[in-house]
Amino acid sequence: MMADKKTILREFKVLNKFGIHARPAALLVKAASKFSCEIFIGRAGEEVSAKSIMGLLTMEGHQGSRLVVRAIGEDAEAALVEIAELFEKKFFEE
Amino acid sequence: MAITLKELLDAGAERLSLELIWGEGRLDREIEEKALNRPGLALTGFFQYFAQRRLQVFGLAEFTYLKSLSSEDRVARLREMFEKKVPGVIISRNRNPLPELRALAEEYETPLLRSAMITSHFINECTLILEELTAPHDRVQGTMLEIMGIGVLLQGQAGIGKSETALSLIGRGYSLVADDVTEMVRTGGRVMAFAHEMTRYHMEIRGVGIVHVPSLYGVSAIRRDAMLDIVINLHPYKNDADEERTGIQPDEIEVLGLKFPYYSLPVSPGRDMANIVEATALNYKLKLLGHDAAKELDEKIIGRFLRKAAK
Repeated sequence: MMADKKTILREFKVLNKFGIHARPAALLVKAASKFSCEIFIGRAGEEVSAKSIMGLLTMEGHQGSRLVVRAIGEDAEAALVEIAELFEKKFFEE
Repeated sequence: MAITLKELLDAGAERLSLELIWGEGRLDREIEEKALNRPGLALTGFFQYFAQRRLQVFGLAEFTYLKSLSSEDRVARLREMFEKKVPGVIISRNRNPLPELRALAEEYETPLLRSAMITSHFINECTLILEELTAPHDRVQGTMLEIMGIGVLLQGQAGIGKSETALSLIGRGYSLVADDVTEMVRTGGRVMAFAHEMTRYHMEIRGVGIVHVPSLYGVSAIRRDAMLDIVINLHPYKNDADEERTGIQPDEIEVLGLKFPYYSLPVSPGRDMANIVEATALNYKLKLLGHDAAKELDEKIIGRFLRKAAK
């Protein structure tokens, strides 16, 4: 019997001026792809995989917007730590 | 860097329609200065400044002038030129050497050659060949292709599928320049790629063996050479590999001192590499035409985000 998969939810605010455009999206995808857990990002009702560049670009993550990251799987916690760092450090843009 | 007459003949005998009249044993002579000289002025007796380290080209002017001289003068002037130990004498327009010229060449053990080309064409072409022979060059591991005018060097570890990818691309109508080993030579601000003449137009396909590409796919499937535009590296797929995801700022690689865009493409089962290499080349061509899709989309997104953030 499989153990229940661990789910973690966390909300982030987009701090960098240009928002989640191509470069930050690529950083997010690279970070997310390192983990085996499933990771979704978005708002209520609309979510995309955090491992998809094209998906992330449709999320309209402009400065000041809030996005919820949902990670499901064993390494969900570690993945969120890494993703949190990207948001907090403004995707190393400023 | 000095080259020998033999090297020049090996590389350019055909292109220059050159034949050796005398001097088989003296072809190891070095051409110290990679340029040609027309000795007209020297033949009039002016040797104060004479480019004696260059090959001497006898065209119509030199011939007509020599013929206007008396036999003694002719021999004296020619002798003075040969005294300077010129590396070689070339007659253009397929003219027969004057008996004096030939005799003196033998006496001074100076190779005498003849070309069917007219002098100006010969000088242009021969200068190019001398430049090519002395240009910086290198032999690199990789398969060279030409895709819609874009020169693509395909690299990657043995067995990753370079030749197989190249074969697929040939099947789509693109051209092979070199399989697995590519010669590179810098010509001015560009790098020209071509195959070693021994293996030119052949490919090795695992499980099949060596094939002759134009016999199988026709002459449009091959090119003698192509200018290098991009380098594509095929690597085994790794989940955490640091791959390019947006294409806004591709990596660069240096080849013979010049920088070229470098794309590292992950290979995994079921991924049609020929398709992806083709897309990479075509996308690069689009950029050359001034249309950078990734950058334009990014600018559009940023513009929209800035307007939204301001509200």
